[in-house]
Amino acid sequence: MKRMSDNSETIFSNYGIYDLKDDLELLLPNTSIKFHRISDNAFSYFRKNSEGKIVEKIIPVQSNDLKIELAPIRPLNHPARRTSHIFLKFDKNIHLSANSAASIFIHCPIEIGIFLIHDSIHDSLDWITCNSLNSRFGLYGSPDTGTLCKYAEVSSATDYSDSNSYFEGVMQIVLENNLSSSQSISKVVFPITDNTLYYEDSKTIIDGIKITMKKRAAVNIADVNTTSIETDWSMSPTWEDKTANTHMEMELE
Amino acid sequence: MVVEILQSLSEMQIVGELTALSLLIGGIIMAGGVIIAKITKLLFHKYYAPSLPKDTAKNISKLIYFGILIITFLGFTSSQGIDLSGIMVAGGIFAVVIGFATQSVVSNLISGLFLIVEKPAKHGDTIELPDMGITGTLLDIGTFSSKVLRFDGTVTRIPNEKFFTSNIRSLTLSTVRRADVIVGISYESDIDNAILVMKNEILQTMPFVLQIPEPEFRTEELGDSSVNIHVFVWHPRDDWSQAQPILLTTLKRALDKSGIEIPFPQRVIWNGKD
Repeated sequence: MKRMSDNSETIFSNYGIYDLKDDLELLLPNTSIKFHRISDNAFSYFRKNSEGKIVEKIIPVQSNDLKIELAPIRPLNHPARRTSHIFLKFDKNIHLSANSAASIFIHCPIEIGIFLIHDSIHDSLDWITCNSLNSRFGLYGSPDTGTLCKYAEVSSATDYSDSNSYFEGVMQIVLENNLSSSQSISKVVFPITDNTLYYEDSKTIIDGIKITMKKRAAVNIADVNTTSIETDWSMSPTWEDKTANTHMEMELE
Repeated sequence: MVVEILQSLSEMQIVGELTALSLLIGGIIMAGGVIIAKITKLLFHKYYAPSLPKDTAKNISKLIYFGILIITFLGFTSSQGIDLSGIMVAGGIFAVVIGFATQSVVSNLISGLFLIVEKPAKHGDTIELPDMGITGTLLDIGTFSSKVLRFDGTVTRIPNEKFFTSNIRSLTLSTVRRADVIVGISYESDIDNAILVMKNEILQTMPFVLQIPEPEFRTEELGDSSVNIHVFVWHPRDDWSQAQPILLTTLKRALDKSGIEIPFPQRVIWNGKD
């Protein structure tokens, strides 16, 4: 059931579910993953990532019906899980006229999760990032009261098919300016734990967000909420605790 | 039979009006009080303490336990017909004497209460007491003293009075922290190029360094041998070990790779001719 995808002359493994019978090798950009049966009821797991770091594990199994799922996950785990928020800095500012609305697509960084599937339970085995340079932290606000976020500079995408395989998924951002003056948006900060990821082959799309610019108590704010997408793509498994905070309010510059 | 025993106990006078029966009743009251105090403390620990901060839970537990014991003791004395007014007068004088003798103990107790109310730091916080040269994790704010687990694994006990009156630097209250080092480059080197090289190396090889705010570089001093650049980077609060200890190594590696000289003091010694 092993499937492959041609990506820039190198053949990489597609996202999806793989039967783990004996040996299994998965190849991703800058990363290789190997499963090897070491006994009737145990496998070894080997992973070498883009930074040359090696992770090895032993996986005891109780049945022969073991499956692996390779799927995109939210970009919150590398280099360490510290926050649920993401800070997306647009490479070009978005200008929105007064009392207008628009919709754009952007590339949003992703990580890749490896899950063990047994008895319909998805158990997180490991996670990786194919581009560690785009996996950094940033601070929104002041050092004492600000919000620590995962930080990435993002570019615009044409549509949902414009996913950058294994590195970035596509997210739709709906912007609504209810203010009487035009606004220039350079960044967006929000808790990404409510955004579900979907995959097909090596492509990823992510639940979108809606940014509503409005006035509250004489202060211009941007209210950020998650919007769901309807798709027949496979939904990625997740294991993170969802935050109670389902939206974010940013101050406009 | 039981009535007869009680009758005989009530007639058995020990001191003055104190009989064996009243002493027995007093004993039962005290034993009952101790049992109730222990059960209440147990129930508090089981149902309420988990939802409270550790220090607060510990102190409320002590308050409940000793509060019930004091009420029980007052019940015991009244059951024995003991008049406490005389003791109160004597106790007042005694308290003044004890107060002078144990003022540091009382001071520690009061400081402990203020620490609990003000909460300058809580259990598990990493703190620094610059006046005492102590840095570590706060383990406990007790009745008379606080305990700090230092980074070398030893535990330091600090009297609450000293702790309360000290400057306390909390290393865990803010979301992020800043690390800084000073690095010197030769006078021949291009400062802007050196800064660019160091910045690129930091952003590429130090994943815990924040991209926003960006690393900051200040040309701080034209030193005897070098141009000294002060480098500041921000990192998540809990990842100090991924920033400060490796920052200088990273900068040296970047400068070495680019062939930028890091000078050191040199002295030319001329031998005088005979």
